Amino acid sequence: MRSIIYYIREFLRPEWLKKFFFAKTAPLVTPSYFKGYPTLTDKECTGCFNCMMICPAPGGIEVLRRKDQWVPEIYPGHCIRCGLCVEACEEGVLASGRILDITRRDRTAFRSWYHLEVDDALCMRCGNCCVSCPINKQEDPQLGSSGTSSSDEVIMRIEGGRVRILHEEKCTGCKTCETHCPNSAIRVARMVEGVHEEKEVEA
Amino acid sequence: MSILQDIKNAVRSRSIHVAYVDVGSCNGCDIEVLACLAPRYDIEQYGIYVHNNPREADVLLVIGSVTPQWVDKLRDIWDKIPEPKVAVAIGNCPISGCVYNRRGTLTEPPASKYIPIAAEVPGCPPRPTEILSAILSVAPLIFKDYEER
Ligand code: SF4
Ligand code: SF4
Ligand code: SF4
Ligand code: SF4
Repeated sequence: MRSIIYYIREFLRPEWLKKFFFAKTAPLVTPSYFKGYPTLTDKECTGCFNCMMICPAPGGIEVLRRKDQWVPEIYPGHCIRCGLCVEACEEGVLASGRILDITRRDRTAFRSWYHLEVDDALCMRCGNCCVSCPINKQEDPQLGSSGTSSSDEVIMRIEGGRVRILHEEKCTGCKTCETHCPNSAIRVARMVEGVHEEKEVEA
Repeated sequence: MSILQDIKNAVRSRSIHVAYVDVGSCNGCDIEVLACLAPRYDIEQYGIYVHNNPREADVLLVIGSVTPQWVDKLRDIWDKIPEPKVAVAIGNCPISGCVYNRRGTLTEPPASKYIPIAAEVPGCPPRPTEILSAILSVAPLIFKDYEER
């Protein structure tokens, strides 16, 4: 009996009643390092489109020409807040959470190049790709109409009855070769690799 | 405004029943909805209850990018919910199809093609706080003074 009275007294304490009926979780604050939608810094965008090319979400980011400057625009509802565009931008135009601080501290960056691949089973050795490539034309104005060339400086040429790729690193990724190939045999792919610059050893 | 309506408003503001339907998501947003139920976010302290039964729901959370099997069934679920009701799109998927919105994938976004969507919570996935505040901000707009309209 004593214990029942004790419990009733205990539960009638205003403090307890208040806690029981009005318990609330403290409002949650978004931490400062939260990776939200990328925002613009005051740096100037050069219109290199690195951010657009690395974005994994279709329609996540677009770099638009506004009056006389380029402005990247992020579309919520498409953007997945991965932060890759922030890392890929060499100018530091975009910012999100502490990504910029970390990439600066760890000296990480993205290196990219274009990879050319010809599917020999589809290719019919027409040479359209070699002829249409604007860099090939620059390197060897005497380029043959069948894609043969005597210059070793061209990106690719017809050699021994097939397309031989010599200087992949000169490719600008324009994809002219891809659009001129009748068989979709040649493919241009943009390759990206994360690189880590070693910290200089302090003397 | 009648006293009865006042009582209804007061009750409804503390009793929001939620059903969620996954129409083809990666499960990420489902996990964030689940996190809302956990003590850290504690959705029930706001009077929001997750039942997953459309017959007693007020709010339908649509998650996922609408796969072909869901194209005709999403509407069925919506029709089962009694008035007043509201649908909220959770995540990028029902808004745009997110990363699945490309050639060769079996998705038919957006969800607003099939049922009226009142609010969208973008994110992949959205944070639990974003889901919570979306439900809390959209509910009074729909349920307050419903009978007087
Ligand atoms: S954060 Fe990721 S998804 Fe969003 S725009 Fe940048 S690269 Fe695209
Ligand atoms: S935001 Fe950066 S990466 Fe994107 S186009 Fe501008 S300079 Fe290039
Ligand atoms: S992408 Fe352009 S530059 Fe590169 S090989 Fe093809 S045509 Fe030449
Ligand atoms: S254009 Fe296409 S088919 Fe013709 S040589 Fe080049 S890769 Fe082969």
